[in-house]
Amino acid sequence: MTRPGVRIGIDIGGTFTDLQIFDERSGTLNACKTLTTPDDLSAGLLAGIAEAGGRFGFAAGDVRLLLHGTTIATNAVLEGRFPRAALLTTEGFRDVLEIGRHVRRDLYGLRPPLRPELIARDRRIGVAERVRADGSVATPLTEAAMAAAIAALRATGPETVAVALLNAHVNDAHERALRDAIARACPGLPVSLSSEISPEIREYERTATTALNALLMPVVQAYLHRLTARLAAAGIAAPVLLVQSNGGVCSPAVAAAQPVRLLLSGPSGGAAAARLTASRLGRPDLVGVDMGGTSFDVCVVRGAALAQIAEGEISGIPVRLPMIEMRTIGAGGGSIAAAGPGGLLTVGPASAGARPGPACYGRGGQEATVTDANLMLGRLDAASFLRGSMTLDLAAARAAIAARVAVPLGLSVEAAAEGVVALTETALAGAIRLSLFEKGLDPVDFALLAFGGAGGLHAIAVAAELGMREVIFPASASTFSARGILESDIVHDLAASRVLRAEAANLPHLHRTAASLRADGEALLAADGVPPERRSFAPAADMRYVGQVFEIVVPWPEGDDMAALCARFHALHRQRFSYADPDAPVEIVTQRLAATGCLDRVDAPPAAPPAGAAAFCTRHVFLAGEWTLAAVHRRETLTGDVAGPAVIEEEYTTLLIPAGWVCTPVRDGHLSARRAAA
Amino acid sequence: MSAIGDPVALEILRHALTAAAAEMDVTIWRTSRSTIVRELLDYSTAVFDRDGGNVAQSARIPQHLNAMGAGLRTVIERFLPLDGWADGDVVITNDPYCGGQHIPDILAFRPVFVQGTRVAVVGTCCHHLDMGGIAAGSYAANATEIFQEGLRIPPVRLVRAGTINAEVLAIMRQNVRRPDMLWGDLQAQLASLAVGAAAVERIAAKHGTATLIAACTALLDASERAMRAMIGELPDGEYGFEDFIDDDGLGTGPIRIHAVIAIHGDTMTVDLSGCAPQVLGPINATRASAASAVAYAVLACATTPIPANAGCERPIRLIAPEGTVVSARHPAPVANRMVVSHRLATTLLGALAQAAPERIPAAYYGTSYVCSFQTIADRGRGVLVEIEVGGGGGHPAADGTNAWSCGMHNNANIPVEMVESELPLTVTRYELRPDSAGAGRQRGGLGLVREWRVECAEAVFTANLERFRTRPYGLAGGSAAAVGRLTLVRDGQETALASKTGNLRLRRGDLIRLETSGGGGFGDPAAREAAAHARDLALGYVTA
Repeated sequence: MTRPGVRIGIDIGGTFTDLQIFDERSGTLNACKTLTTPDDLSAGLLAGIAEAGGRFGFAAGDVRLLLHGTTIATNAVLEGRFPRAALLTTEGFRDVLEIGRHVRRDLYGLRPPLRPELIARDRRIGVAERVRADGSVATPLTEAAMAAAIAALRATGPETVAVALLNAHVNDAHERALRDAIARACPGLPVSLSSEISPEIREYERTATTALNALLMPVVQAYLHRLTARLAAAGIAAPVLLVQSNGGVCSPAVAAAQPVRLLLSGPSGGAAAARLTASRLGRPDLVGVDMGGTSFDVCVVRGAALAQIAEGEISGIPVRLPMIEMRTIGAGGGSIAAAGPGGLLTVGPASAGARPGPACYGRGGQEATVTDANLMLGRLDAASFLRGSMTLDLAAARAAIAARVAVPLGLSVEAAAEGVVALTETALAGAIRLSLFEKGLDPVDFALLAFGGAGGLHAIAVAAELGMREVIFPASASTFSARGILESDIVHDLAASRVLRAEAANLPHLHRTAASLRADGEALLAADGVPPERRSFAPAADMRYVGQVFEIVVPWPEGDDMAALCARFHALHRQRFSYADPDAPVEIVTQRLAATGCLDRVDAPPAAPPAGAAAFCTRHVFLAGEWTLAAVHRRETLTGDVAGPAVIEEEYTTLLIPAGWVCTPVRDGHLSARRAAA
Repeated sequence: MSAIGDPVALEILRHALTAAAAEMDVTIWRTSRSTIVRELLDYSTAVFDRDGGNVAQSARIPQHLNAMGAGLRTVIERFLPLDGWADGDVVITNDPYCGGQHIPDILAFRPVFVQGTRVAVVGTCCHHLDMGGIAAGSYAANATEIFQEGLRIPPVRLVRAGTINAEVLAIMRQNVRRPDMLWGDLQAQLASLAVGAAAVERIAAKHGTATLIAACTALLDASERAMRAMIGELPDGEYGFEDFIDDDGLGTGPIRIHAVIAIHGDTMTVDLSGCAPQVLGPINATRASAASAVAYAVLACATTPIPANAGCERPIRLIAPEGTVVSARHPAPVANRMVVSHRLATTLLGALAQAAPERIPAAYYGTSYVCSFQTIADRGRGVLVEIEVGGGGGHPAADGTNAWSCGMHNNANIPVEMVESELPLTVTRYELRPDSAGAGRQRGGLGLVREWRVECAEAVFTANLERFRTRPYGLAGGSAAAVGRLTLVRDGQETALASKTGNLRLRRGDLIRLETSGGGGFGDPAAREAAAHARDLALGYVTA
C-alpha cells in the first residue's frame, strides 16, 4: 500500500475547472475552482493544483493520485477539429458511414440538415474480403487484396486509420491482419479496429464509433503528452486516471488507445456523485438533476446504482459503448422565452448562453430568459449574484420580459415572468417523468437531488409537480461533479456480440465467451495494478424476444443457468414494458462484462457548521401570484431548519424554499427539503 | 390553474398532453416485436379531445400526420358512435374504407374516463409485419381489389371493458403469416394505450377535468390561428403544379397528379380535381392518405413549427373527388398508397414553391422503396421488409442530402448484419449511387445501391417502387435526377425488373440490385461554384 497522500478529483468545464481535494493524512476534504484555460486545458488544471496546494497545505510531492474528467474529446467533435483520417471497410460498403440510418429528427424541415462528415468518401477504402454473420469466411482476405488496400490507404496520406469490416464483431481475423499490414507499411500510424473499439452487431453504429475513435486518437494523445510534461515539470509524480462515459476511470494507456470512451463523460462526474450521495444519505432511490445555463441533465439512481445504456450519441453520431443513462433537454437559466405562433408561450430550447447571456447580464442580450424571469420575480438578487461579483440589471430583465413575452401575449410582466418559470418547470418535470417512466418507475418513490447553478431555484417546484417528497441540495453543489470523480473506480467494459437463441444448447459457446471476457478483464485490471481482492466482475447479456431489435441488458451472474437468465429477462421486460411473453423465443445478442477495480473511498468526517447566528435578511419574492416577504439566508452559516417562503444563497447558486416546505441540514453538509408537517 | 384563456396555462397543458403522446410512443418503440415497427419506426401515437379531435400526436412519419384523426372521425361517425364506448374498451380497425390508409396499419383507440366522464381518447397506429393476403407483408403489387390485400378488420372492440375479445383475436391470428408478431405488436399497442390513459388521468387529476376539456378546445384554436397566420403571409394567388406517377404496375400510366393551391387571405383551397381516376393496381390512396400529404406539405412550408393537431386543418379546404387516385372508392386496392402520397407531396411542394420560392427544395426521390423477401429454407420461413430511400432535393441554400429519409416517410434502414443474422440472405453491396442526383447551383443528394443475394433454396421477392420513368424534378433551372432501377442477376445474366414486381420466385445465388433516385437540382448548374463541383468529382459523387 502506498503511503498516505493527497487525492484530487478534477472536473474541467467550459468556464471553470473544479477541484475536490482529499488529504488522506488529515482526513480533510476541500474544494476550489479556477478558470478553465481553453487553449490548453492542462494549464488550468496545473494552476488549480498549485492554488489548492497553497490554500490547503500540500506540496507537489504529496499528490498520490489525480482523477481527471475532461471534455477534450467532446470539444473536438463538437467543433469538428479532426485530423486526416482514412477508413478501411468491406468492399461494397464504404458508404455505410455516410448513409447512416436515414432517420431525420425534424419531421417537417425542408432544409437539408448539417451532418458531420467524419471521413470523406475519397478516404474510405473498400477491401476485398467478407465474413458471414456466423463468423465463417465467404471471401478470404488475400495478400493481394491487403496490398491493394494498403496502397490506396497510403495514397490518402492519413494521420489515423479506422478499420471496420462487416461481421468483424463475430470474427476479427481480417481486421487484425489489416492492422498488422498497416503496422508494417506505415509504422506508428494509429489504427482503430471496430472489433476492439465496439465489438457489437450493427455495422453503422460500430463503424461510426470506430471512426470517432480514430479521429480522437491524435487529439487525446497530444493532450496526454502535454499533461504528462506539465505534471513532470511541476514535480507531480502521481498516476493520472481519466473519467469515461461509463462513470468509471481508465489509465492514460487505455484513454490513448480508446479515446472514444471519454467522449460523453461530461455529466459522468455529477452522476457518480449523485450515486455516492444516494448511498451515504440512505436515499437509494433518487433522481439527480444538473441544471446550468443551457441544459438540464437527468440521471436516475436506483438501489444506489446508476442505470447504463449501451449507446449514446454526439452531433447525431452514435457512440456504441456503455455509458451512464442521462436525459438532457435544452432548458437552463439562459433558455429564451418568446411568444410563439398562435399566441402561445415558448421557452427554449434556444439559449442565450454565457454571451450575450440573459438580458440582465448587461452584455447586450435582448432576449428574455429564465434567469431574467427569476430576477424579475425577486427569486434572484441583483446585488448578490455570484456573491456580488457580478451585478444584474433588473430593468433590462423587466424590459426584455415585457417586450418579448408580456406585451405580445397580453399579460402583466409578473404574470409573464411567472409563466416563463412555470413552463420551464413543466418541461423539467416532463423530462424527469419520462426518464423514470421508460423504466416503469414512479417519481413518488424518489427523492430529487439538485445541483448546478440554476437547479436550486426550480427543484422544489418540480418535485412538487411530480409528487416527490424530498429534495436534497448537496454540499459544494458547484463542484459536485469533481466530488463524484474523486471516488471513481477503474471500469473496463467488455463485450462480445453474436445473435444466439437463449437455449441450453448454446451454453457451451456462451460460457466460452464469458470465460474469455473474464480473462480479458483480469488481464486489464492486472495491467492497471489492481490487486485481485479489489477486482469485481459484473457479467450481463443483452437479450430480446426474437424479432425485437432493441435489447435489455440482463445481469447474468456466474453460475446462473439459462432458465434463471431467461426468468430474469422476462421479469425485467415485464417491469419495463408492462408485458412479458414467457412462451416466446428469446435470443442473446451481446454478452458483456464490466470489470471494476475498486479504488479508495473518501472518509472525511462531516465538517462542523461555523458557530454564530445565521446571517439573515428579507426580501420580496413573487410567489404563487403575489409578492411575498421571504427570509434570505446564507448557506454557509445555516445551522437549523428554514421554513419557506425563504431563499438560501450560496456562492454560485440560489435555493428557493416555497411556503409549505422546510429545509434542514443533514449529514456531510447536505440540505434536505421536505413538505412541512400539516 | 388559472383560466384557460391564459396562454401560459394552455401551453403547460399542451406540454403535458404532448408528453402523454411521447410516453405512449416510447412504449411502442421499446416493446414492439417486429422489425418493421421499431427499426422502420412505422407507427405513431396521439391524444384526442373527448369528441375525437386530434390534440397532440407523436408522429414518427408524416404519412401518419393527422391520419389517426381522420380514422377516428370515420369510425365514430359511421360505425361506432363515441357515446357507446365504455371505460376499458379498445376499438381497432385496419380497413382503409373505414378511415384507415392501408391494411397493414392497425389503428387502436381507447377512451379515457375520469369519474364517469369521457375526457379524452388515446390512439395508436402501427404498421404490422403481415396481415395476410396474397403477398408477404400484405404488399401485393398485382392486387386489383382490396379483398386480395389481406384481412380487413372493420371497427370492432378488441378489448371490451378490459377483457380481450379472444374470438376477434383468433380470427386475426388465423389469417396472417406471423401470428406471433401480430400479437406481439398488438400487445405493444395495448400497453401504449394503457400508458396514455394513465397519463391523461394524471393530467385531469392535477388540472381538473373541465380545464382539460377546455384546454383541448383552446389548443385546436391556437394551432388554427398559427396556421392562418402562416397562410396569410403567403401571397394571394392560384398556384398549379403537376407531376406524374410511372404506372400502377398493371399497365396504366403515366398517372397524373395535379394540384391547384389557391391562397386567399388566411385560407387555402387545395383542389385535386385534376388528378387521374383511380386505377386497377394497388397504388390508390384513400382520402385520409391524401389529407396527410396535404397536411405535411403545408406544415413543411411553415417557417416556425406549428403544433400539429386538428386545428391546423380548419383553414384548409380539400377538394378530392371520389373515384380519383387521391380519393379511391371501394374496393380499389390501396396497399401501396405511398406512391400517390409521395407524388402528391412533391406536387404540392412544387405548387407552394411558386408562393415561397426561398424555402422549397427541388423534388426528393419521391417514393418508399419497399422490397420484401420471403425466404423458404429447411429451418423455416422468414420475412424481411425493407424500405429504402434516395437523395434529397437541392435547396435554395444547400445541396440536397445523400441517402436520407425525406417527405412523407421517415424510415430507418435495417442493419446489414441484422439482416444476415436473421435470414438466409447476404447483402453484397450498400453504397451511394454516383450521378444519380440532378445538377444545379445546389445539386440534389445522391440515391443509393443495395444488393441482396439469396442463400437458401427458394425465396419470393416483391417490390413496390416508383420513379423508374418520371424523374424527380429540378427547380429554378436545376436538372431532374436519375430514375431508379431494379435488376435481377441470375447466372451472370442481368434482367431489368419492373418497378412493381410481385411474387418473383428466386433461387439460391440470385441477386437483386436496387438503385434509387437522387434528388432534383436547384438553380442553374452552370452557376455552381467550381470548388463544389471539383469536390463532387474528387469524392466520386459525379463522374463528369
